[in-house]
Amino acid sequence: MLVNIIDVGLGNIASIEHWVDSCQLSSKRVANTSQLTNDPIIIPGVASAGEYMDRLKRCQSGQKIIGICLGFQIMMNSSEEDSGVRCLGLLDGTTKYIKDKNTHNGWEDFKIDTREVKHNVFFPKKSTKKVDGRVYFNHELMVELEEDASTHILSNGITSYAFKHNIFGMQFHPEKSQQTGQDLLKLII
Amino acid sequence: MSFRIGATVLLDCNRRALQSYSFQTKRILGCIKNVLSFLNDYEIDEIHLIIPLKGRSVDTSKILIGLKDVSISTPLSVGGGINTENLIEITKDPYFERLIFNSAIFDDNEVIKQATLKMGHQAIMASIPFILQENKIKIYHSKMNKFIDVSDKFWKKLNLMCNEIILLDADAEGGKEGFNFKVFQFVNFPIERVLISGGLTKLDIHKAKVMKLAGISLDNVTLHSEFSIKGLR
Repeated sequence: MLVNIIDVGLGNIASIEHWVDSCQLSSKRVANTSQLTNDPIIIPGVASAGEYMDRLKRCQSGQKIIGICLGFQIMMNSSEEDSGVRCLGLLDGTTKYIKDKNTHNGWEDFKIDTREVKHNVFFPKKSTKKVDGRVYFNHELMVELEEDASTHILSNGITSYAFKHNIFGMQFHPEKSQQTGQDLLKLII
Repeated sequence: MSFRIGATVLLDCNRRALQSYSFQTKRILGCIKNVLSFLNDYEIDEIHLIIPLKGRSVDTSKILIGLKDVSISTPLSVGGGINTENLIEITKDPYFERLIFNSAIFDDNEVIKQATLKMGHQAIMASIPFILQENKIKIYHSKMNKFIDVSDKFWKKLNLMCNEIILLDADAEGGKEGFNFKVFQFVNFPIERVLISGGLTKLDIHKAKVMKLAGISLDNVTLHSEFSIKGLR
């Protein structure tokens, strides 16, 4: 399988490529919408995804979209960043600065069991059903989700992830979460 | 959120990792890629990669960009010689999450402002090597290559510009004599955003946890002795 990594000249593409490669998957950088294939799409922490908005909204049924950190935040309807911007609207919600302009840096526990996920999330059929470990966060904005999705809220109120159908949004950096990040990608793709 | 166990790795202009003792003696450890790969396998929480320029004027952009193909899945911060001239080049397609500054805090605030715009406030760290002399704190200024007195204004500026700081006990660096916690009498920075480094013992690490510091950054000890990172968490 080939994974499309959106590349608009910003974001940690090299780290994402390494993450995908470590799971024995192939990837290609996509700098133009016409290059997108029907394979899963990863949106790294990009500064602007305007060019991709329509294409992502029209993506094939079941085509997986993985948003990481800022890539997750722009899956919402809007963001407070840069004095307010309209986002992809793939999930209902808004992205706001963490209260009192705090930041969230460090590791948090992560656990998911696909057999216990209530919403219809398109996990592939695999013998491994769960991931249990820790994931790395490094952000100053957070998502306030208004969507009925499979999600987990941390004790500090931050939405760790939101999965629904073919959409996989993660506030943490799976590509920098060592073994847990690799296990998670293998669970999703 | 868990207490972080990080490691500081020093890098020379030939992309070799260095071991440093008491902020002076340097010993070449080996290829930086091997060192990073080793720490990655060790599942250390984060790596602070610093090129210590110590008064030299070197364009470090090629050295830092040359590490782009380092394949690790551990959070990485880089620092040393980042300025307004090379910031854009260094932060293009970054393989690291955060930037570490020292001299810029004193005399190039513009680069920190630009870095914040580009990578966010959460990405800005400061390396603060210190010594305690005559009941006073002196902070290392890399461009001047000396420890200098600082005022309240310095701490205010640091607080405003940097999300986290790494307080390095320069006298204790590389040894096992213990971190000098007296420094906290002089530090005016939120404790939950401070990491400590230099001469750390297991007792020091325990104390740092109790104090609710953000974490620690181990120096040489992680690179040449048996050390259980998981055991320290």
